[in-house]
Amino acid sequence: MMMTQQNKGKSIVCRTVLGCVAVLMFLSSLVACSSIDCPVENTVLSVYNLDEILEDTLTITSHRKDGSDTILLNQGINQSTFKLPMSFTQDVDVLFFKTKKLPVTDTVRIGKENIPHFESVDCGLTYFHNITSLNHTTYGIDSIVLLKSRVDYVSNSPHFLVYFKDRD
Amino acid sequence: MSQTVHISSFISRIAISFLLLLLSCVETRAQLRLGYERDSIPLFRGFAVSFDMAGFAEKMLGSHGQIEGALRLNLHDQYFPIVELGYGIANHANDAVTSITYKTRAPYFRVGADVNIMNKKHTGNRVFLGIRYGFTHYKVDISHPLLKDPVWKYEEPYNISGEPCTMQWGEVLFGLDAKIVGPIHLGWSGRYRFRLSHKDGIMEKTWYVPGYGKQDSSALGYSFYISFDI
Repeated sequence: MMMTQQNKGKSIVCRTVLGCVAVLMFLSSLVACSSIDCPVENTVLSVYNLDEILEDTLTITSHRKDGSDTILLNQGINQSTFKLPMSFTQDVDVLFFKTKKLPVTDTVRIGKENIPHFESVDCGLTYFHNITSLNHTTYGIDSIVLLKSRVDYVSNSPHFLVYFKDRD
Repeated sequence: MSQTVHISSFISRIAISFLLLLLSCVETRAQLRLGYERDSIPLFRGFAVSFDMAGFAEKMLGSHGQIEGALRLNLHDQYFPIVELGYGIANHANDAVTSITYKTRAPYFRVGADVNIMNKKHTGNRVFLGIRYGFTHYKVDISHPLLKDPVWKYEEPYNISGEPCTMQWGEVLFGLDAKIVGPIHLGWSGRYRFRLSHKDGIMEKTWYVPGYGKQDSSALGYSFYISFDI
């Protein structure tokens, strides 16, 4: 009877130790696995809404570091909304709004604070922005209203409301 | 997508298999019970100190991990107030894909208690349920040698240095502790973690948090420790 009790005790210890070893192996396999959790919505875009459909052809450009032009919006027709990227680290983004029917080019200067954003070592780095100032010429644009200053991954509501001058 | 389903199904099967194995390892005839066992054993049964081998192995094998020890009070082999102190380190240098370097090192602590839910409390083997409160204040360095603006083509280094962050979190855990020989125990715990509050600096998110682990979609943590009764 005594031996039986001892054997039972040993059996419990053996089973528990085996359990610990099994769990250690399982945990090791978990350590070996890794998951990448980068957000699906990972583009930082500013959203422009127009007060009404622009019955004109709109092209928006900016100057690159080397002085060449980059086209941000290429000959958009009857636009009522569009999304544009923002530069990572420039303090002021200078955009050129060129229309065809009313052949003018407006310069829009967007002052901003650039906030480094980090997700994980597995995901690319980017910058969020806080818009701090807004200036523009008024050849074809009547006015621009700043609706939301923070520019981040959320681009389902407008940052700017643009009023163009009458095209007639 | 199909591959993802296969992998997750494979992992689920392994996890379920191990859980079943664990259940079989817990002495089937030993019923689990939550409640104070009234007997002649005194309330104070001593202390135990432990060292977490999982966090240490993680640090030795990878770019982050922690060195952690704990002091556990034994009350009647049933209630175990515990303080866990550790030092978390991450030194992930120049990621092979993203070229990001992430560094942090800071101390942390957790306080809480475990309850032995085994029916026979005084065998030396224990099945635990427990809770923890954890806190750490840490500073993060994140850098990239040259981050290129994809549109304007400006190239500038990305450098965040010594950004202060804090986190408070809670853990609910389940664990087993086996008496090996003399005062030596081996044990493990699986932990469900949840953040209570966090301040992640200007970049609004951090990766490895000392004591908490990686901030990703997984809420699970673990420990595997050796302890000594004193």
